[in-house]
This record gives sequence, C-alpha cells and structure tokens, in this order.
Amino acid sequence: MWWSNLFADMSPASFFNFSFLPKYGLFFIQGIEYTLLLAVFAVLLAVVPALLLALMRLSKNRLIRGLSGAYIAVFRSTPLLVQLSIIYFGLFSVISIPRITVLGFVDISRFIPGVVALALNSSAYVAEIFRAGILAVDAGQMEAARSLGLSKWSSMQLVVLPQAIKNVLPALANEIITMVKESSICSMLGMAELMFAAKAVASATYITLAPYTIAALIYFCINYPASKGIEAIERRMRRGDKQ
Amino acid sequence: MEINNDIIISVENLVKEFNGGQIKALNGCSLDIYHGEVVAIIGPSGSGKSTFLRSLNLLEEPSSGTIKFKGIDITDKKVNLDLHRQKMGMVFQHFNLFPHMSVKKNITLAPVKLKLKTQAEADELAMKLLDRVGLADKADAYPAQLSGGQKQRIAIVRALAMEPEVMLFDEPTSALDPEMVGEVLDVMKELAHEGMTMAVVTHEMGFAREVADRVIFMDEGHIIEENKPNELFDNPQNPRTQAFLAKVL
Repeated sequence: MWWSNLFADMSPASFFNFSFLPKYGLFFIQGIEYTLLLAVFAVLLAVVPALLLALMRLSKNRLIRGLSGAYIAVFRSTPLLVQLSIIYFGLFSVISIPRITVLGFVDISRFIPGVVALALNSSAYVAEIFRAGILAVDAGQMEAARSLGLSKWSSMQLVVLPQAIKNVLPALANEIITMVKESSICSMLGMAELMFAAKAVASATYITLAPYTIAALIYFCINYPASKGIEAIERRMRRGDKQ
Repeated sequence: MEINNDIIISVENLVKEFNGGQIKALNGCSLDIYHGEVVAIIGPSGSGKSTFLRSLNLLEEPSSGTIKFKGIDITDKKVNLDLHRQKMGMVFQHFNLFPHMSVKKNITLAPVKLKLKTQAEADELAMKLLDRVGLADKADAYPAQLSGGQKQRIAIVRALAMEPEVMLFDEPTSALDPEMVGEVLDVMKELAHEGMTMAVVTHEMGFAREVADRVIFMDEGHIIEENKPNELFDNPQNPRTQAFLAKVL
C-alpha cells in the first residue's frame, strides 16, 4: 500500500510506527469488540444487584444496611486487579466453565470470569449512583404515594424509582465509559481485549510503543464522543424538567 | 352542614420528639374530630401544627400517644396502616403530584393499583371529579404544564378519588401565588359544604373563620385554645392566642 513506505525509516520505539497495521489491524478490531462486550455486559449485569444494594442501603434495618455498606466498602476500597485475580483464580477455580469460543475470538472460560468480576465491582459504584438518584427524588413523592394507601414497595416501584432511574441514566452511561477503560485490566488474565491486542502486537513485532498509541487513540475515540453525547442528553433532559 | 356526634379521629396525648428528645414538636396534644366537621388548625410557624396534622395519618410517627381512626388505634404496629390511609386523603403544601404521570394517571394510580376500581371505573370517577374542579380539559396534561392552583386542585382530586372519609390539608395554599389561592379555597369550601370531614392547617384566617366549625390554636407543641371561629377570632381567651391574632388579623 502507498503508505507502507511511510514507516520504513521509523525506529521501533517511535510513537507513530504503524507499520504493523496491515498485518495486525484485525487484531485491534477484535480487541475493540471484546472491550465493548466486557464493558456493556458488566454494567448491564451490575444494574439489578446495584438496585438491590441501593435499596438495602436505604433500609431501616441496620443489619441489611450494614451488609450492603460492607459490600460497597470492600469493592470500592480494593483494587480491581486484586478483585479480578481473586475471582478468577478463586471463585472460578471452583466453578469451571468449558473452553468454548464464541464470535470466533471470545473464549468464554476467560470472558465470563472477567465480566463477573467487572460486574461485581461495578455494582458497588452503580449502587451509590442509584442511592443518590433515589435520595434526589423529593421526599414528598413517597409521602404522597403512602398517603394514598400504597405500600412502601408499591410507592417505590411506581413513583420513586421511575423518577430516580431517569435521574441516573447519564451517570449509568458514564459508568459504561469507566468500564471501557477499567476493563483493560482484564488483559492481565489473558482476555483478548484491546489492551491485550496492543501488548500482543508489541511483542510480536518488536515495535514497542506505537501499538499502545493506537490503543490510546481507540480508547479516546470511543470514550470522548460517548461522554460528549451523554452530556448533550443530560442537557436536554434538564430542559425537559423545567416547568 | 350537620355534624353528628360520631368521633372519626380521636387523638390522645400525642408527643413527637426529634433528635432523641432534644426537640419536642408536640407536647401531649389531644383532640377529637367529629364526623362531618371542618377543623382549622392555626398558629405561628414552628408551633407543631403541621407535625400534628401529619401525625394523623402517621406520616410522622408519634413518639407516644394514640390516634384512633374510627375507633381503631392506628399507632398499633399490628394494624394495617395502608388500609386506613386509603380512607384519609391528604393534600400537601407542595402538591406532590407525580411528575412522570399524566393528570389522569395521577388520579387513577392508587384506586386501580389497590384494586378498589377497574381502570374504566377509576377513569370515569377521575373525569367526574376533574369536571367538578373545572379541569376536565387537563386530564392528559402533565403536572409540569399546570399552574400552582391547577396542580393543587388536581392534588385534591387525586385524594378524593380514593373516596376518603377524612381529608387532611397541610397548608394547601401556602405555596401558591396570591391570585391562585381563591380557586383552591373555593374547591375546599365546596367540599366542606358537601359534608366532608376536614382538618386544615392554614394561614388563611378568612377561610378558617368562614368555613371551619372549630378553630384550634397551637403554639410550641401545645393546643392552646379551641373554639368556634367567631369566638376564637373575636374573643380569644389565652394571651398567646391574642398576641398571634393581633399580628395576623
């Protein structure tokens, strides 16, 4: 190709020595797909437990509140890499998952532990998002629902949660962005996501820097437009709320 | 307006403490409300009048004392409170309409969810009540599209759709622009004339004088004085009542 010669004189340590792209481009594409799968599945899986944790955190019962608080504290106060390692080598040495490859490049015996670890971690953060969202709904809403004779759970489900979830949608989308970045840690355990692809290309081609430049560019090109998009949606939602 | 002698709500020695007893919002209040009666509760801000009203359907949990609704002590933990709340409508200062639901849905949500009515029956009643308060054309609007006065009239309709036996009003006109106070008070007056039992915390002395059967003056968590409106406004006995009325009338 016309641009192949462009890299001929570049050193392997150059930021922009992209001579590996024709041969390894597909590797990066698969890495992107793997990364997005990890992030989206992790956050989607985290939503239900997070909602449960948030409701527990707001319970009147001290034991229930404490349990949820402890979970959140543990997952927010230890590094994701440590959590991932413990879940991968501990939990998933007990539960064995067959080595089946789906989509041609996703080995589920690695993917599932990765998603579970990310989801458990994310649920602690999303729980706090939900808790803030529920607390942001005016207390008068719950009072009005209860004064009509609706039970606490019905009031929560019909009146408070729909408003809370609308409030937290942008924060939830931001959590996916965080997960896109955080999931790079899964490369440490051999999951073939974007960071893993960059590392593999670097060691196969002896081009030490540019594969990571490409990875950085790709992460940026996913996350920056996404966060701008979320900001725009947030602005529009605020406008809709005005009376 | 006729008042028969049946007591519908009987409050005995109600105490409400905050911060583990450091603040006493209610200091042993007792009051009987009779069937068909309109009771206005007045007093300076911080006197405990809202807390008292909110205790009647246990939105505030009393620290001690009893509240009997139709003879049943609803402060008893074994009582199904939700069942009794269905019969005690409440209207709030800040309306508290559900912003994510249309006006009609606001009104029919509870009766349908609690299986008291089918959706069709609830819709029919909602339209009838909306028509009565002059807002039938707003059935499909959302709360954000309404004025304060309209919101409060809808909130009254929402409470009425449960076909309550008592209506509790917690400063229903305090958050309204002055030109909208009248339309809400008119709805309340009509309700009173139809014989609804009402307890109204209010700053509208004119309304209290004209519509109430009895006026309660509260200060510092005590019921200081109660009387027929003309007696209480024209001839207050307690110095604190006199001082308060001198300021507001």
